[in-house]
Amino acid sequence: MKKRMNRRTFLKYSAAVGATTAISGFPAILKAQAPEIKIASIQPVTGVISDIGISMRRANQMAVDDINAKGGIKSKGGAKLKLLLADTEAKEEVARTEAERVIKEGAVCLVGPFLSGNAMTIATLCEQRGVPFVMDVAAADDITRKGFKFSFRVFPTTTKFADSMLFYMTRIMKDKNISKIKGVLTNTGDLFGRVQGATFKKTVTDKKFPIELLAHIEYPLGIQDLSAEVSKIKALKPDVLFPVARPGDAKLMMRELYKQRVELRAIISPGSPGWYEPEFIRDMKAISDYVMDNVPWYNPVGKMYKEVNAAFAKKFPGKYIDTNSGYAYLGVLVIADALERAKSTKAEDIVEALKKTYLKQDLMVGLAVNFDERGDNVNADTAMIQIIGQTLKVVLPDKAAEAQYIYPMPKQLWERGM
Amino acid sequence: MKKLYIFLLIALLFLLVLPKFLSSYVLGIFIMIFFYAYLGQSWNILTGYTGVISLGHSLYIGIGAYMTFLLTLTLGLSPWIGMWIGGIAAGLMGLVIGFFGFRFGLKGVYFVLLTIAFAEIGRLIILHLKVFGSFQGLFITPEFSFANFQFKENIPYYYIALGYVIFSLIVVQLLERSKIGRYLVALREEEDAAESLGVDVFKYKMIAIFISAFMTSLAGAFYTNYLYYLHPGTMMSMAFSIEIILRPIIGGMGTVLGPVIGSFLITPLAELSRIYFAKAGYEGLHLVIYGFLLVAVVLFFPRGVISYIKKALSRKQAEQK
Amino acid sequence: MNLTLLFQLAISGFLLGGVYSLIALGLSLIFGVMRVINFAHGEMMVWGMYVAYTILVWTGVDPFFSFLVSAIILFILGYLLQRTVVNRILDFPEAMQVLPLVGMAMVFENSARLIWGPDYISPQSRFALHSLSLGNIMIDTPRFMAFSLAIIITIIVLLFLKKTDMGKSIRAAADNRTGALLVGTDVNKVYAVCFGVGTACVGAAGGLLVPLMPLSPHIGAPFTLISFIIVILGGMGSLTGAMVGGLIIGVAESIGPELITNIFHGVGLDFDFPHTMKQVVSFFILIVIMILRPQGLFGGKKG
Repeated sequence: MKKRMNRRTFLKYSAAVGATTAISGFPAILKAQAPEIKIASIQPVTGVISDIGISMRRANQMAVDDINAKGGIKSKGGAKLKLLLADTEAKEEVARTEAERVIKEGAVCLVGPFLSGNAMTIATLCEQRGVPFVMDVAAADDITRKGFKFSFRVFPTTTKFADSMLFYMTRIMKDKNISKIKGVLTNTGDLFGRVQGATFKKTVTDKKFPIELLAHIEYPLGIQDLSAEVSKIKALKPDVLFPVARPGDAKLMMRELYKQRVELRAIISPGSPGWYEPEFIRDMKAISDYVMDNVPWYNPVGKMYKEVNAAFAKKFPGKYIDTNSGYAYLGVLVIADALERAKSTKAEDIVEALKKTYLKQDLMVGLAVNFDERGDNVNADTAMIQIIGQTLKVVLPDKAAEAQYIYPMPKQLWERGM
Repeated sequence: MKKLYIFLLIALLFLLVLPKFLSSYVLGIFIMIFFYAYLGQSWNILTGYTGVISLGHSLYIGIGAYMTFLLTLTLGLSPWIGMWIGGIAAGLMGLVIGFFGFRFGLKGVYFVLLTIAFAEIGRLIILHLKVFGSFQGLFITPEFSFANFQFKENIPYYYIALGYVIFSLIVVQLLERSKIGRYLVALREEEDAAESLGVDVFKYKMIAIFISAFMTSLAGAFYTNYLYYLHPGTMMSMAFSIEIILRPIIGGMGTVLGPVIGSFLITPLAELSRIYFAKAGYEGLHLVIYGFLLVAVVLFFPRGVISYIKKALSRKQAEQK
Repeated sequence: MNLTLLFQLAISGFLLGGVYSLIALGLSLIFGVMRVINFAHGEMMVWGMYVAYTILVWTGVDPFFSFLVSAIILFILGYLLQRTVVNRILDFPEAMQVLPLVGMAMVFENSARLIWGPDYISPQSRFALHSLSLGNIMIDTPRFMAFSLAIIITIIVLLFLKKTDMGKSIRAAADNRTGALLVGTDVNKVYAVCFGVGTACVGAAGGLLVPLMPLSPHIGAPFTLISFIIVILGGMGSLTGAMVGGLIIGVAESIGPELITNIFHGVGLDFDFPHTMKQVVSFFILIVIMILRPQGLFGGKKG
């Protein structure tokens, strides 16, 4: 290196430096005008329910892409949202580490995580770190009963599931002039299944509803053989089967019911994912017809739904927007809406904005997203969907209905030519 | 080995000041390293030192966690106190399993299956008890205070976890040097010979399983108040039992530092493989790689990493002379 | 006490038990000869299921035929696994043997996931919905076919072991490894073939199970555990034991909860034994057998 720098060289250098800064400075200036806002998607992308986790991550991402395509967060100079990806592996300790990681990487808000247990761990962590957390899907009531200030839940609570279920059952029984239904309740032995089953049973008892539950059969999650359980159902001769099931056991259940020739008037789930997954209809074909499920569902007549679903189905052939992916999409919309109104990325501002959320939407059944003091979405609701002609249709409530519900099943499972 | 002690002291001082420089996230990783090192060390007492293989250790931490929770719920007892009572309960459970196993001469794979059977039965029973949250699990209410064993920041958890590890190192070191420890190793190596020499094999195995179960369960209080959610499906599962045994096996069983070294290797490995290999569309790839790595490490370091470190060090010493 | 229900349950359980027997047979071979705890047993079965599923989807051939392909592919996988990994760990202390196979279980499970996706698949095969009635009792056709084929395969394996040279070498190596070495047996090859046959059994069983239950990459673990229980119940290294054990466990899991509930009600206890605890029945049987008769029902020497 030269030991001295004479003036000429110095001027030459400064000119070069100046010019370079001037030229390269432009992108820097441009960047300063449209910064990124990082949010994080934290879902069970690997592990036992990875099918749902993947679906939700995709929906989170699609919502982010759509918002960015429409100009990003305008109140922050068109800032684009960047979605950091986190995988809970369906385990609480991983959920905590991943949440911690994305917070360190600058996420100003988290969305996820489907599993209530993971949600509890993440919600506690977010409370500890003062970072807002929007639960797109997480059903256990308890989470919002801990006084968390930073957590908000878009998904309906399990109490809501049960209340809506009875609302729809009242309607069906009134229409069809049925005074009493003899039923059997089944559920998987996982968190969602057990809570759904228990809440339904409790609500029926508390409200003295005219459904007589002849039995409440629970079976382990991941069970490969339901012959014993179905034999028992057959022996009880119920009118209606109320099964809470995941995709695996839903299919198993239908096949067993078929093989053991169990006569039923209807199969109505108080709310579970097994019945609306595309694979269920694909594998069960005509056997899936007439099954009803009470789930937080997309709004089939909604404009937003139609657009989002079309895009989703195009991007991921064979898949469509359902309960989980729908809410995952909505969750991100809620965050973007809050950011827009907060005009800042500071946690307290975002939380304030989230509290005041009134997001009109027709993606999911239910009115505008609006949170109460606990952070629950008061307008989250469920719809009664039914498989008719091997397609899922919303049959209740009327204002979102695509078709009239069918009760009782006109043909038993084995009478459908399969 | 004086040099070893000096090294450990320096390492300890290093770990003590580390929290000042690290982000919450990295501290969290260290916490997990310590947590699993502790669990591995507790298991090490039974399997590494005594030679009795258990694949049902998740049962003990489950008992510890649920017992501590129950005592807090019913008697308002702080987990700091409750955990010792939970420890006794777990120790007693260990004695029951030990009784069935040792009295009836179950060894090797038979004993392993016995431990699995008890752990699974325990898991299934707790899964059906309403007081423990049944299938829903327990949502632990966060109320940050020392007495509640709940903290807002990671730093207190870090030091507590480090404390657990140091505690376990002291216990194992004391055990190794004591008469009990020598008997345990003797019956691990040559059970029949030890018996013929008059060693009460049954008694010492029972002592070992009690201590191992007791110590494992103490970590339950930590787990509950760090993750704020308890569910037998995660806490008392075979998967968790396998996680517990990974680190001591890879680090080196029957050694004081083995589980610690194993944990420092495996825990960051799992974390890194998740970050670098978990891309959209390839979900699960990191677990495939993790699986292969497990196989590779065991094949190349069958006596645990620590034995190779020892060998390398002693070779170096020999060269220096 | 609803006897028809119990009988129905017993029959269903018995038929499924036939397939369990086949799975356990594979494990019994592996454990009996090499003393290795194959923790990847269930996950390898799942691969067998996926192979049969893939053939069904590509060619329409029913799993009740394509299970043979599953068996062949799993034989190759098992053979390779033994030569590369298992052979090296044969002399390791038992605790160290656990990990590599647990690692392989992870590999099988997650690579299945990468290849076939995480969703539950329940393909419609020809007989999936068929059933026969004998009076009040319903016999599940796919289950019956799986049972029959499993029995046939088991007999073939037994014949292989008794009559062929390789089979005899395997049995010799099981009884006395050093002796086998001394008479010039290529023990490595024998072990590899044995492992391969063991995994072939499990692959075949997987294929047979495809019409019966939904597939997902994660369903393997419970099968590993069940096969261990059966092998211990039947007796380590006893192939007849594996067969009988499988049938017993199949029936026990099926009628267990109902029977116990009836007993509870009979003694005045108003408590239903939940179906979600059905595995407790098998584990309980395991503990009792290990304590009272550790060599199992058909096992020879003790321990």
